[in-house]
Amino acid sequence: MEMLLMGAALAMFGLAVSCLAFGAATHEEPVMEQEPALGKEAVKAAAVNARFFAAVPALPVAAANRVPIEALLLQIENHVRLEQAAAACFLESPSADVLHGRTISPLVN
Amino acid sequence: MIDAELLKGLPPAEAERVLALGKRLLLTAGAELFHLGDAAGSLYLVARGRVRLTLPMQVRHHEEDILVEECSSGQTVGWSALIPPHRFTLTAAVPLETEVIALGREALNAYFAAHPDTGYAVSVNLASVIGQRLQLFQAMWLREVQRMVELRCA
Repeated sequence: MEMLLMGAALAMFGLAVSCLAFGAATHEEPVMEQEPALGKEAVKAAAVNARFFAAVPALPVAAANRVPIEALLLQIENHVRLEQAAAACFLESPSADVLHGRTISPLVN
Repeated sequence: MIDAELLKGLPPAEAERVLALGKRLLLTAGAELFHLGDAAGSLYLVARGRVRLTLPMQVRHHEEDILVEECSSGQTVGWSALIPPHRFTLTAAVPLETEVIALGREALNAYFAAHPDTGYAVSVNLASVIGQRLQLFQAMWLREVQRMVELRCA
């Protein structure tokens, strides 16, 4: 009888461990709750990027995909202007260092 | 009189005569001056305001006009009018009220045939404008290639 009870207790314990392991393996992060916050952060960052020659934060890829199209077009336009300014600097004083000077454009950072 | 890069080095009276060949156009904000692929019959000197030169690009599956260059007072837009095959390779629009002087190819060619010194000076200025832009875009292109190489080798 004792052996039978011990076997049953071990079986229940094993089942509980298996349930915990399964639950941990199939657990999903609450993605939907994070997305709106990421979107707001992306819009805020994009608005900051609209300023010329200002130090701008780089956006993560996921955030960049959520930037409104108007903000993205503004980023592209700023990128073109920054690149033209960099190219103009190179033409004024041609050297490899000036040619390949880093840009602060968030589009490539 | 506008300080036009195309007329640099010409005596003021001669520059006035060239400008008199043109027609002043007043464009309201948002107006298109010419479109990519149009026949280029005139080049334009920006008297005041600003001209945006754009090319189409796919952004998130939509075709968008992307800024390539901006020209302001004194600069020349649409030199395809003087260079074969006389087709505009960009779209030009104005973001604010802008005044340009449109110089027709036929009027310019006739004037330059009669006044070769002026034609030579304007051609040199035009070559200088085209050359500067070529060098600028060469540098921009190489910067992009450098970034592409860095991404590939990262």
